[in-house]
Amino acid sequence: MVYYLIMCRSLTYAQRIVQMLERAGVNAWMIRSPADISPSGCSYSVKITQKNLSKALMLLNRFNLSYVGIYVGSSVEGYEEVAL
Amino acid sequence: MIYFDSAATTMQKPESVVDAVTSAMGTMASVGRGNSSASQTASELMLCCREEAGELFGVSDPERVIFTFNATHALNIAIHSLVKSGQKILISGYEHNAVTRPLASIPNLEIKVIDTPLFRNDLFLSVLEKQLKMGADVMVCTHVSNVFGYILPIKEVAKLCKKWGCALIVDASQSAGVVPLEIEKWQADFVAMPGHKGLYGPQGTGMLLCQAEPLPFMFGGTGSQSIEQKMPTFLPDKLEAGTHNVAGIAGLLEGIRFVKKNGEKKIARHENRLKYLLAELLDDSKIHCFYHSEDLLQVGVLSFYVDGYDCGEIADFLSMKGVAVRSGLHCAPIAHKTVGTQEKGTVRVSFSYFNREEEVVNFVQLLKSYLYMEKRES
Repeated sequence: MVYYLIMCRSLTYAQRIVQMLERAGVNAWMIRSPADISPSGCSYSVKITQKNLSKALMLLNRFNLSYVGIYVGSSVEGYEEVAL
Repeated sequence: MIYFDSAATTMQKPESVVDAVTSAMGTMASVGRGNSSASQTASELMLCCREEAGELFGVSDPERVIFTFNATHALNIAIHSLVKSGQKILISGYEHNAVTRPLASIPNLEIKVIDTPLFRNDLFLSVLEKQLKMGADVMVCTHVSNVFGYILPIKEVAKLCKKWGCALIVDASQSAGVVPLEIEKWQADFVAMPGHKGLYGPQGTGMLLCQAEPLPFMFGGTGSQSIEQKMPTFLPDKLEAGTHNVAGIAGLLEGIRFVKKNGEKKIARHENRLKYLLAELLDDSKIHCFYHSEDLLQVGVLSFYVDGYDCGEIADFLSMKGVAVRSGLHCAPIAHKTVGTQEKGTVRVSFSYFNREEEVVNFVQLLKSYLYMEKRES
């Protein structure tokens, strides 16, 4: 299954995004970013399904929560950055 | 034991604090260091504590609530972030060594002490503005004196600092939990506080609330950007190297909830009532109390000395009778210098929400029995 990862600058920030999305009814999980998209080492991302992406981005914008990047892919095939 | 030393540490904690510490020790792992549910639970706890502290103190961004080991640690971060050699620094005449020693470690500072008398906020603000007009880089100001319970006019101090372009660091060690704090409204650059006093958390906890950009103070692992050899540039990671005191923070969260549930005003009213009773019962020509009846000028902390008696000996006698107070200079020699008690210090009585009137009555009976006993023996 294809997922989107919203890469965040910190654990705390990723937690806040998950919390905000869940309060808005969007399923989201915090994960450690896969190594191939996290060149400077450990970081955290928020994982969402494709159908929730546009709503999630709208909510991030509304709550003024920024992110490092958006990635698409799967744990099997790897992730690549999405230009939005 | 009659415990009247809450300005040092509130030893009597709400049961919920003790339970949270015990539970965290058996169920929570390191924050941001693993994928396990034990690590995630710890991470969730941290965010929750940042959010609830932010709510209590008027900080809307939980990333700007930094966990420290105590207020001294927080003050060191704040002072070393803002204060540079060659600058002019203003401090109140009621500062603790947690402020004056970090300042003393920075060479070539011009430090001006605003040493106006106790409870004279008008004079304090007028001298402060004169100094600010002459130019100053940073003001470090305690909100409440740890020796005398004197509440300094911090809101007005913040306004003046803003007006004259001076950075402000507030030491809220004695005010957090008893006097409402509105940090974003004040626009103070940094506010430091312990978790183990008025917030009823465990020792080894504290917080730094940041409005300005701090510099890293301790360097090490953060569970983020691990390949980089520089500290992360974002908060809270920038200031939180090493493993957190997770069990302590679990207790602190419950302490904050206890304060929120009861309300700072109710807690302060209770402690002030005990202080009024104490001042009334200590009414004696030999006993000198540093007391003000106005709630807005003094919290539930009362210092006194007795003509002809050594403060340390009074505290020793009380300790033998099961009463905890603190004597001496209370790590705040400049506060004693300002008030004129630097030679012998004072005996300090400081209350918490868990103290009761009968303890005050028993305390005064014990103290007077000591004074009479001494008199008879001499």
